[in-house]
Amino acid sequence: MLEIKNLHVKIAEDDTEILNGIDLTIPKGEVHAIMGPNGSGKSTLAYVLAGKNDYEVTEGSISWNGDDITELDPDERAAAGVFLAFQYPIEIPGVATMTFLRTSMNAVRKARGQDELSTPDFMRVVKAKAKELNIKDDKLKRPLNVGFSGGEKKRQEILQMSLLEPTLCVLDETDSGLDIDALKIVAEGVNALRGPERAMLVITHYQRLLNYIVPDMVHVLSEGKIVRSGGKDLALELEKSGYAEYGEAAA
Amino acid sequence: MAAEILKTKAEQGFADQFTAGKSALPGAGNAWAEGLRDAAWETYASVGLPHARVEEWKYTDLRRLLSEAYPPAPALAEALNGDDVAKALGSVLAGLECHRLVIVDSQFRPELSDLGGLEGMGDIQSLGDQLSSPADWLKQTLTQITPQQNDTVIALNTALMSGGITLRIGDNVVLDKPVHIVHVVAAKEAASVTLRNVISIGAAAKVCLLESYVSLADTPLQRNAVSELIAGDGSDVQHIKFQNENMDSSHLTSWMTRLGADVTYKAFQFSIGAAVARNQIFVTFAGEGSTSHVSGAVMGRGKQHNDTTMVIDHAVPGCESREFNKLVLDGSARGVVQCKAIVRKHAQKTDGHQMAQALMLSEMAEFDSKPELEIFADDVVCGHGSTSGQVDDELMFYLRARGIPEPQARALLIAAFVGEAIEKVSSEPIREAFRSMSETWLEGEGA
Ligand SMILES: Nc1ncnc2c1ncn2[C@@H]1O[C@H](COP(=O)(O)OP(=O)(O)OP(=O)(O)O)[C@@H](O)[C@H]1O
Ligand SMILES: [Mg+2]
Repeated sequence: MLEIKNLHVKIAEDDTEILNGIDLTIPKGEVHAIMGPNGSGKSTLAYVLAGKNDYEVTEGSISWNGDDITELDPDERAAAGVFLAFQYPIEIPGVATMTFLRTSMNAVRKARGQDELSTPDFMRVVKAKAKELNIKDDKLKRPLNVGFSGGEKKRQEILQMSLLEPTLCVLDETDSGLDIDALKIVAEGVNALRGPERAMLVITHYQRLLNYIVPDMVHVLSEGKIVRSGGKDLALELEKSGYAEYGEAAA
Repeated sequence: MAAEILKTKAEQGFADQFTAGKSALPGAGNAWAEGLRDAAWETYASVGLPHARVEEWKYTDLRRLLSEAYPPAPALAEALNGDDVAKALGSVLAGLECHRLVIVDSQFRPELSDLGGLEGMGDIQSLGDQLSSPADWLKQTLTQITPQQNDTVIALNTALMSGGITLRIGDNVVLDKPVHIVHVVAAKEAASVTLRNVISIGAAAKVCLLESYVSLADTPLQRNAVSELIAGDGSDVQHIKFQNENMDSSHLTSWMTRLGADVTYKAFQFSIGAAVARNQIFVTFAGEGSTSHVSGAVMGRGKQHNDTTMVIDHAVPGCESREFNKLVLDGSARGVVQCKAIVRKHAQKTDGHQMAQALMLSEMAEFDSKPELEIFADDVVCGHGSTSGQVDDELMFYLRARGIPEPQARALLIAAFVGEAIEKVSSEPIREAFRSMSETWLEGEGA
């Protein structure tokens, strides 16, 4: 279970508060969606869950399956099962995709007390997952994400997610930039990971994604606070009414 | 009014060596060779060792950096065997499939070399022998290749050169393995080694040359090596250097290269050793339609000083030059990249671009980059760029978010950074050897 309690976050460099007391609980096995206007703090929340040190938690805590992870380094969180699919995946020139995937998988396996994968096993699992996500072999031969289209990068994120087998999946606008077919493929990839041991937090601007990845709960984030929570129909309502009401409410 | 400038201890030492040793240097008694040496000595002695007020040397003040002149390595070096050479090279390079020429101190050692398969393809001689009875081709080549003869370090080399090789590859020869010229130092006491290699590549030949400079022990060394290379019309030449001399060494090398027409010249230098290294690379385009790509990777730590200085002379139209250097600097290491591209008046349609990039691993490291364009033609495309920065936080976060611990993530990013330079090496086995050695260097990170 993910438990976020009274989370206050500011930018480490200055004193700008971005999250002002977030309370959110996601039981294992559930998928929760977060929607909200641009700049409301959605990505910040995602980054803070992953442990980015540009942000400072000034109050409150985050725990995953009973362990407080607020102070853990990003790689320790990954080992503990946290995975963030980035809104803007990064290009890393000079690092071959396969080298990266292998280093990442083995680091996580090692930290979790599992054996490293042999080369043939590694190749097999990567090829199989890539195929499911419709990622061509030549994309795996290039440096990580370099020259990939927006949609191709998003698919790489989901590939990494399925390889690392996280238990807490945070997807930050994974749907933006995807064409309709890719959206279905990615949603299938995500749904395949749904299970009683996993919790997911799906950030999106579009109700459409939630037709494919049906959430248990939808939360509205506005100005660094959750201002409303509801069932999956809340997304439909927001699609019609927009966020004006919450902006004013919070102001 | 010019007052006699006081000689430094090192300058006095070189002067004593020349006066006392000249009659024993190879070629003594041959008027041409003696004439070359005397003229070169005069050129050198009129200015002495370069210092910070000499523009080309402003970052590498040899007067300050060379505190004394070590005596020349004894001509009859210690008995070395193949294992010693392999040890000095390191296992990765020792295992390279190649034609191997071994030069111990400044002496070519055929018994340690492996020249099988070169019969009929080329001719290899010791420079010392050649200087005593110089062939015409040598007279037309030695010191004639590029206009940099008056560079003081090269003039000093000409005056004091005590060995090296001459290598001639015939027209149309295509070599399937690299020619590896191994320079290893065996002297047991602090020594200087001054040597010269003269290389002539025939028309339409295809050759990969690797010069490596390595030490067997930690004996302090002063190296002054010059390689003069002529690439014949239509030839395809890879010219690669690996430098891993011990941390008490000073390493001065100058490559003087003249390209005929339609030549593809790809130079690469990988430097990880020596306390002070100055890598000079002078390329002159003498024929149209040629391409010169000079790249390099430097990895420095501690107090290492590494200066790569290039002059690319577009003397004829229609040639392309690229210079691409990457430096990883840790500790209080200092890296310097200077590159002057000259485009002569008639050298229209020149296409030149240079880039130097440094990755700073420490606040105390220093990087100086000096690009210079001297363009006298009007229809040219030339550019330059230079960057320096630290390991990128965003990239680090991405890798760590994927479970990769900090030291490993950092090593991956540094390897990726130099990897982009190492990629320029066309020869796959050499490229992979360099990649592997760059990773080994990183394992010593923080050690
Ligand atoms: N590192 C940072 N430095 C400065 N400002 C930041 C930083 N990170 C976030 N912010 C600011 O915090 C606010 C929240 O940003 P965040 O990226 O979390 O929004 P978001 O809800 O994800 O928006 P979008 O829907 O556009 O993706 C914005 O005003 C943003 O400019
Ligand atoms: Mg966002």
